[in-house]
Amino acid sequence: MNRIVVNCLIAVAVVFSSCEDVINPQLERAEPVLVVDAWINNLPQTQTIKLTRTQPYFQNILPPTVTGATVTITDEDGVVFSFVENNPGEYEWVPAGNNVFGTIGMNYTLTVQTNGETFLASARMGRVPVVDSITFFVQKGNQFIDDLYQAEFWAKDPEESGDAYWIKFFKNGVLQNKPSEIITAYDAGFTKGGNFSGVEFIPPIRRAINPFDTDANDRLLSPYQVGDSVSVQIHAVTEAAFNFLNEVSIQTNRPGGFGELFSTPLANVSTNIRNANPTGSKAIGFFNVGAVSGLGRKFNSLDDLTEN
Amino acid sequence: MRFLLLFLFFPLFLSAQNRATLSGYVKDASNGEALIGATIYIKSMSTGATTNVYGFYSLTLDPGDYEVSFSYIGYGTQVKTIALTGNVRFDLELIPEGTQLEEVVVSSEKEEQGAKSLAMSVNRLDIKTITRIPAFLGEPDLIKSLQQLPGVSTVGEGASGFNVRGGSVGQNLILLDEATVYNSSHLLGFFSVFNPDAVKDTKLYKGAIPAQFGGRIASLLDVRMKEGNNKKHEVNGGIGTIFSRAAVEGPLFDGKGSFIVAGRRSYADILARPFVDLLQDGAALNFYDLTGKANYNINERNRIFISGYTGRDKFFFDKNQGFSWGNNTGTIRWNKIFNDRLFANFSGVFSKYDYSLQFGENERDNFRWNSSVRNLTFKPSFSYFVNTNNEISFGAEVNYYSFEPANAYGTSNGTRIDVSLPEKYNLETAFYLGNSQKVSRAIAIEYGLRFSHFVGLGAGTQFIYNDTVPGVRRTPINERTFAQGEKMISYQNLEPRFSIKGQLSEQSSLKASYTRMAQYVHLISNTTASNPLDVWTPSTNNIKPELGDQYALGYFHDFGKDNMFEFSVEAYYRATQNQIDYIDGADLLINQFLEGDLLSGIGRAYGLEFYLQKKVGKFTGWATYTVARTELKVNGINKGEWYAARYDQTHNLKLSGFYDINKRWSAAANFTFVSGTPATFPTSRFVMQGILIPYNAYDSRNNVRLPAYHRLDVSFRLEGKTVKKNGNARKNSDYWVFGVYNLYGRRNPFSIYFTQGDDRVAAGSPINSEARQLAIIGTFIPSVSYNFKF
Repeated sequence: MNRIVVNCLIAVAVVFSSCEDVINPQLERAEPVLVVDAWINNLPQTQTIKLTRTQPYFQNILPPTVTGATVTITDEDGVVFSFVENNPGEYEWVPAGNNVFGTIGMNYTLTVQTNGETFLASARMGRVPVVDSITFFVQKGNQFIDDLYQAEFWAKDPEESGDAYWIKFFKNGVLQNKPSEIITAYDAGFTKGGNFSGVEFIPPIRRAINPFDTDANDRLLSPYQVGDSVSVQIHAVTEAAFNFLNEVSIQTNRPGGFGELFSTPLANVSTNIRNANPTGSKAIGFFNVGAVSGLGRKFNSLDDLTEN
Repeated sequence: MRFLLLFLFFPLFLSAQNRATLSGYVKDASNGEALIGATIYIKSMSTGATTNVYGFYSLTLDPGDYEVSFSYIGYGTQVKTIALTGNVRFDLELIPEGTQLEEVVVSSEKEEQGAKSLAMSVNRLDIKTITRIPAFLGEPDLIKSLQQLPGVSTVGEGASGFNVRGGSVGQNLILLDEATVYNSSHLLGFFSVFNPDAVKDTKLYKGAIPAQFGGRIASLLDVRMKEGNNKKHEVNGGIGTIFSRAAVEGPLFDGKGSFIVAGRRSYADILARPFVDLLQDGAALNFYDLTGKANYNINERNRIFISGYTGRDKFFFDKNQGFSWGNNTGTIRWNKIFNDRLFANFSGVFSKYDYSLQFGENERDNFRWNSSVRNLTFKPSFSYFVNTNNEISFGAEVNYYSFEPANAYGTSNGTRIDVSLPEKYNLETAFYLGNSQKVSRAIAIEYGLRFSHFVGLGAGTQFIYNDTVPGVRRTPINERTFAQGEKMISYQNLEPRFSIKGQLSEQSSLKASYTRMAQYVHLISNTTASNPLDVWTPSTNNIKPELGDQYALGYFHDFGKDNMFEFSVEAYYRATQNQIDYIDGADLLINQFLEGDLLSGIGRAYGLEFYLQKKVGKFTGWATYTVARTELKVNGINKGEWYAARYDQTHNLKLSGFYDINKRWSAAANFTFVSGTPATFPTSRFVMQGILIPYNAYDSRNNVRLPAYHRLDVSFRLEGKTVKKNGNARKNSDYWVFGVYNLYGRRNPFSIYFTQGDDRVAAGSPINSEARQLAIIGTFIPSVSYNFKF
């Protein structure tokens, strides 16, 4: 909800002009911290857990990797999935044949052993609804804005409240992954308190699968053109992971300008990684296990457009 | 307890036997407006009185003949000989002096000047002064003008409201003719809802708040509307860069009453329409407000007033989509003089703030959301003028609130879901008793006690939340439902108020005060600037009333010819309890478990305010400097240690100057220097699922300071000619104002934020991070406005 409101307020404020300068402030030094990036799903593909360390904020290089760790996931029946380090810091589990990872409703525990310390996290694999269809519509332009061809996916959240999702989308096979493109849903709405359950995802979520970019002249580009393909994936996430993703969105999706009037203070996002030894060193990051559903469609011609 | 107090005060009632009372109203001879704070002085007795907010005074003396002088700044003093054999009713109209003698008045009290008055921590802003301060886009604005005063600050341009002595925006009580104004802003925070054409008097209490007032812990802004000219019809107006305004006032019932109606409307959308095709049918981008007041003198002892305000900001992309917000207030007042020494006022007040948000172009998919806070108030207040040394005030205030956090539904592909949250009902009741007492020629005291009581009423549901790690969302573990009208929760507080003045000499005095305030309704806002969709919410079983204790000590000194200079220095210390803060990632809108996202903490604020004013001459103006600290301590933020509040400003310097160049031209300038406000910077970064996330290894809040803010504004005013070409005097008057805001175009930092670059990053490539400094106003802003009166 907050995000929609902020976007509205920004619309109000563009009446005035603001300006921004890139600066290089001095930041406090800090010791690196272990980062666990473990988002596991049931797609028939290699599952990867990345171990890295934090780096100084302005260090614009790939983060340092953590090698030589032992990484396993254990389900509630005691079945162990071992993740093997095939590239430095990247620990992989490859499903055999047509198998996929996990069972919906099962609890999983992640164990990471590195530098003599053990880090743990747990998650329950959630369910997802199927994506019924993808449609295209056009928002007619004017002398300032081109016609904007946009996609909309249709899926119905199952009955009974308590499902949370991370919705990812791909344009021509490429994951669209800007901070502004983090799409989350609790049931069919934005928040737990929203009480949208058992219905079609609400329109701002259905229509969030559109990448908005500008050209060199700051002219807004149509998210899709004839010939482009779009695919959408709904990933089940735990409630903790849902909160985490929303925090990530708040902390990273900074449109700037007047939006800053309504920004909240910079704060650390949450984590579900804990050290087996409570007095041991700290780790951050997130572990989630979830089912995935998906659908793709190519925008073949303008005949594909439906009434807006 | 209350009986005990009555008992204490009782001797004062007895002491007033066999004496005579001089009482009446003091008004402006040109338009009949009551003069607030005019001085009635009897030299032979070295005693006197000042008029109250309705222009009424009462003085009880031994019978005899007295020479009484009536005076008010900017008006000719009149001396009358009055034979006081019995009670005498004496109304008087003072004649305003020529405009050239007009003074800039920002003082603790007008005639009873700085050092002599008992008041401390109070600033009064005359509407004439407000219109002379160089303003953003040339529009005089009450709230922006307040920010030129010591102890008042803001988080930046565009931010709503103001901060007083380390209080948050929601801790100020803003009253427009006694009606609570829940959101004082138009167009985010660029303008305020008060139309300067309709405002008569503005008083900001930063501390030492009389027992009559309560409900917010930081300050009280008491705005009184004009009554309207009861001598002749008058039209005032102005055409500005962003909006235009007009006001009509005049007599009613042969001068037994009067009225004023004032309106404003912005025209950004009208101007923009030719350029922006986006504004389709039904699109709107504007604000307007309408302020009105009428009064009628029933007889010498009874007078009634009716006043109201309605205003709205509208932002609609088309006729179905957009949002709007606005305040509506209405006040009915009855002034009753029971006898020459007992003055009463009964006020019935209605106030409502609401906003609505709507999306969706068709019926199958849409979203509608309204939210409001309403209150009905009844407020009887009495002043008993016991004798020249004691003025007792007592009364009550009953407030009935209803909060509607969300009346909302969404339709998704034809299925409609109601996401409304239940309304909340509350009753806030207060009784107060106070006395303003001259103990001796050197010492005066004012003391009072306010008893406040707050009840949450059913129907409703109370949630009981689990205990968890501080700073993490709490989830409800139990709930309890209440029937219609059933008491859900109650709180009560005794709020003592005390202030004392010791006159050191004719020109200097020392003052001290203690004020306790309780606040039962809270503005829920976790953003840098408060925004129009912030929610007001009452105290509940989970949200305790906020409490504030303020101690202030001040030294006041008048000097120069005719005491043309006024100097003061005040120190304050304010401790607060149950301050509301928020978990990271808090969801504050349409969330029935909102309370699980709130944190509670304590606050401390202290500072030293210096103030120097030159009140008369060709050059007038003032300088203020405040050095202050505002800190919060909340379990779950900054590891539970003290941290500086977002609006903490160590140094705050303001200079305002006005210069009369000649009969027609005058110039004004103001300069602001504020040291940087706090911000939270990261230390590190990490990558999760291809997204770059900032990280602060020390979990600290507000660990650095933004660069300093400074700005110079200037304006020139050209008075229209006063005589026609043929030599006759013009009936109408007009003036132009030319101004430049932010003259040297400084890009003052509003915030610094950290973000990954705007470009898409290919998987496996490093992600760039950067810090950006944002200025809300990035350049100088010229303006011109034309104002007229006929």
